[in-house]
Formats: sequence, C-alpha cells, structure tokens
Amino acid sequence: MSQTTTPQLPPTVSESKVKGTSPWAIGMRKFFKNKLAVTSLLFLIIMFAVSFSADLLDTHDPTKVDIMSINEAPSKDHYLGTDEGGRDVYTRLLHGGQVSLTIGLSITVLVIITGTIFGSIAGYFGGWVDSLVMRFTDYVLTLPFLVFVIVVKAIFVDTGVLTLIFVVSLLSWGGTARMVRGKILSEKENEYVLSAISIGCKPSKVIFKHLLPNVISTIIVQSVYLLAAMIVIETALSFLGFGVPANIPSWGNIMSTASTPEVIEQQWWIWVPAGLCITSTILAINFVGEGLKDAFNPKSLR
Amino acid sequence: MVSFAIRRFLAMIPILILLSVTVFSLAKLMPGDALTGKIDPNNANPEYIAKMREQLGYNDPVPVQYVKWVTGFFQGDMGDSFVHKMPVTQLIGERIENTVMLALASLLITYVVAFILGMIAGRWPYRWSDHLILTFNYIGYAVPSFFAAIVCIYIFSIQLGWFPASGSISVGAQEGTLYYYLERIKHTILPAIVLGLFNTAAYTQFLRNDVIENASKDYVRTAMAKGTKTSAIYNKHILRNSLIPMVTFIGLDIGTLLSGAVITETIFTYPGLGQLFIDSVSSRDYSVVMAISMLLAIMSLVGNLIADLLYSVVDPRIRLR
Repeated sequence: MSQTTTPQLPPTVSESKVKGTSPWAIGMRKFFKNKLAVTSLLFLIIMFAVSFSADLLDTHDPTKVDIMSINEAPSKDHYLGTDEGGRDVYTRLLHGGQVSLTIGLSITVLVIITGTIFGSIAGYFGGWVDSLVMRFTDYVLTLPFLVFVIVVKAIFVDTGVLTLIFVVSLLSWGGTARMVRGKILSEKENEYVLSAISIGCKPSKVIFKHLLPNVISTIIVQSVYLLAAMIVIETALSFLGFGVPANIPSWGNIMSTASTPEVIEQQWWIWVPAGLCITSTILAINFVGEGLKDAFNPKSLR
Repeated sequence: MVSFAIRRFLAMIPILILLSVTVFSLAKLMPGDALTGKIDPNNANPEYIAKMREQLGYNDPVPVQYVKWVTGFFQGDMGDSFVHKMPVTQLIGERIENTVMLALASLLITYVVAFILGMIAGRWPYRWSDHLILTFNYIGYAVPSFFAAIVCIYIFSIQLGWFPASGSISVGAQEGTLYYYLERIKHTILPAIVLGLFNTAAYTQFLRNDVIENASKDYVRTAMAKGTKTSAIYNKHILRNSLIPMVTFIGLDIGTLLSGAVITETIFTYPGLGQLFIDSVSSRDYSVVMAISMLLAIMSLVGNLIADLLYSVVDPRIRLR
C-alpha cells in the first residue's frame, strides 16, 4: 500500500480544535481567565463609552461661563458642582475624558507606527542602516522628555491639540523603536525568513507579512502601556499649561484649576473626580497590559 | 575598565554637539530674540534697539551666534536673564541648590522605602503583607505626580498641618540656625515623596521579584544546607545580590528626577530649577530656557554614562561590547 504524499491531519484532531490552539487563541483564552484584567477591560470600555456619549448623557455646555453660579458645591442641578467660571464640572469631566482619551490614543497610534517602522528597518537591514537609525534613536531617548516638549510647545504658541499630539509623538517613539528592533533582530534568525528571502520576497513583504505578525503580541503589550503613559503626559502637560488649550476641557485642564491651596481645600469636587478618573483609567490600562503580557507569554503558567 | 570609561565618554561627544545644536535651533525658532536680556524694555527707541541688537550680535550669521553661545555656555557664561536682570549662571546657581537637595531627599526616601518594602514582600511572597505592598506599587505606578501632590497637600498640609504646602523656607528663618535647617527639611519632605513615588513603586517591585528569584538559586540552597539562619540568608546573602542591580539605577535617576522636578516644583512652588524653567518659558526668558534645557540634557547624558559605568563595574561582560 503506497503512502499518501500530501500530509494530512491526524483524524483524531478535529477542525475546530486546530483553530482553537493557535498562539493567538491560547493567549486570548488565558487573558479572559484573568479576572482582574477582564474587569479592568470592562471598566475601560465603560469609561470610553461614557466619555464619548457625553452629549447624550448631559445637556450642560462644558465651555459656557455662567457667572451666576460660580464655585457651587455639588447639587441636583450640578452633580459635581461648578468651577470658578460657573461651568458644570460633571459635564467638563465627561468631555474632558473624550479629549484626554482621544489624545492618548492618537499619540499611541503615531508612536507605535513610527517606532515600528524605524525599529523594523534597523533590525531587518542591520549594518550601517542599523547603526544610523539606532544612534538617532539613542539621541531622541537622551532628550529630557518633558523639558523638550515644553520648549517645542513654546515655539508653537496658541496652537491646538494637533500640535500637541505631533510634538509628543515626535519625542517618544524611541523606546518602541528600540524594542521592535530587538525583537526583529532575534526573529529574523529563523529559517522561515531565510526561505521567504530566497523565494524572492521583497524586504517590505518579509517585514510586513512574515516578521511583524510574529512580534505583534509584544507590540500590542507595548502599546497598551504606552497608552497609559501618554494619557499621563497629556494631563501633566495640560496641568502645567503647555498641553491642551485652556478653552478645551481635558482631565489635565480640569485639574489645573486646583493649583491654589484655596481650591484644594474648599472645592474638592473640582480636583478629586478628575484625579480619580485619571488614576483609575491608568490603573485599569496597566492591569490590561499585564494581563496581555501574561497571556502572550508562553512561559507563564496561568 | 578605564578604556571602557574613556570610550563611553568619547561616544558622548557627538550626542553633546547634536544636543547643543538642537537647543540652539529651538531657541532660534522661538518667537522673539533667543538671546534677549540686555535690552532695556523701557527704552523702545528703535535706534537704541538696533544698536543693542548689533552690539549683542543678533545680526551675526547664525553659525557665528551658535559658536558664541556654545563657547560661552561651556565657559560658564550663559547670557543674562531678561526677567531677573542678572547673569543666568548666577540665577541658576541660586536655584540649583534647592533642586539638588530635593533630588537627594527624594533618592534617600525612594531607596530606603523601596529597600524595606521590597525585602518584606520578597521574603514572604503571596502573603497579606506582599499583597498590600503590591497594591501600593500598582497605585504608585498609576497615580500621576500632580494628583499625588495635590492629595498630599490636602492631607498633610491642609488637614493635618504637618508640612507646609509651598516654598522652600519660611519667612524670618535665619541661615545657619538649627531652625533654618529644620524648616528646609520640612519644606522638602512632601515634594521629595511625590517626586520619588513612581520610582519607589518600581524599585520595590524590582527588589521583590529579584529576591524571590534569588531565593530559589543554588547558593541559597547551599547556605540552607549548611544551616545558616533564614534571616541571615535573606539579610546578607540574598540582599547583597539583589542590591547590585538597584545600584545601577542611580545613574538613570539623575535624569528622571531633574525632569520630574519640573512638575513637582511647580505644584509646591518650590524655588528650584524646574520652577524657574516653567516661569521662564511662560515669561519668554529665552536665555534661561536655553541654559536649563541644555543643562538638564547634559545631566541626563551624564546620568546614562554613570549608569553604564556602574553596570560595567557590576557586570564585567558589558565592557566587552
């Protein structure tokens, strides 16, 4: 009896089970077993949903100044009171969340794209390309981040949110590039890369089709942590007055009202909710990041 | 070792040149004159301004201005402050003392707290004490420093009245008296705690994981087999091995602390470099902005160098690179 030439799956393994055991599926299953991470993910989803449906949930205008009702304590009319301009803090919190989360996400996307491109070019080509790109990356990483963001923001006085996103992204892709380069460097030693090159794949195809899918899990984890860091950066910069323009509500701008001891002492409703929103969001993002890291790590037992 | 240090130092020079070019170009891009300071704002006579501009070299070609600034900077002449009407070098000299004190206090608190918490959590992992410390770490990671600062001010300054919320010294304290030094310390504690919060959480976590990892190593088993007391194993054998990587963090701390001081000092209105920086950016005092950004960039570069050197002392394999 002649042997079959085409390799076939052993009959005992059913189709669905093969699908279920891809590294991605294993990771997802591990992730959804992690209660803390799933709870955090749910919390984040709610946070995003509430912030982005601010107009539906609340009818106050976040920027309307009302001198008849300044610095009011929380009441039925204003769930979280009003600030020194008579603006409803609860409304501003919702709209602020929208702004802060959008900025955080945008910067993260830009940073991940830039970092991945630079990192994979350096890692794949090696040689002088690698040293050139990495020296440049080293240089970007040496710049004291906060100081240079503030200096660059000072050049573009009175510019909007887009400048902020651009400036912060420009100064923070270094870490991602370094990480992606390291991953690509070790991944390209595998034989499948050699075979892809030898059948004539272009470098761009090898990188995007073969290498990146294999390092994507690390990039995802990195981007989750990055999101947390970037939300903090936005709020810190806005707090100092170098972030989002003062007329747009953001979590950092709301907090910046609390820069005098009087406000801190007498008007907790201005700074406590915004501070808690930022902290709990960052906390939840970190838990999700840790859950993903665990889930994608084949060595972890959970 | 020496050759490694020299090589590392030489590799710093091109980055230093690039840094100075960056700082100079950014300052040139800022609206107004980057080197303003000597022109009297009350004298708006166009002839006078034109004469001063010529005299101060603003009409020179840009490369000439750059060389002038760089040579001046490294000789300790950083120009004059427009707002404070004094040489920037003197101004920075007055402020840097406060920032250094804040950074040192922060380092001390960070390492002492991280050391104690990390050892406790690592020695008895997965117990209630470990869970408590882990919770502290997660919060320390997540809470932004300005929120932590406001909470600290609210609790410790306003409600409890233990520490002052702003400044670096009370009015009327005479330099040299014991009261003066006690006041300085009192004013520094809160900002130092806030400044070091993130690092404390990170190092506690690091030490904990390192202690747990070390506890399963062969040398610990040997020590146990020889009948060494558990406390001695943890406090001597494991501690020494776990402290080594933590020492190398000090270099990196220099950069993070000085940058982090920008936020902390602003909230606590602590008169250090960070607050001076923010004030100067707001009042467009460019010579000060240039000097401080250059200074902080150099410090973070030096910090990286120190970290590398310490690391190569700890792990000689690094030197072979």
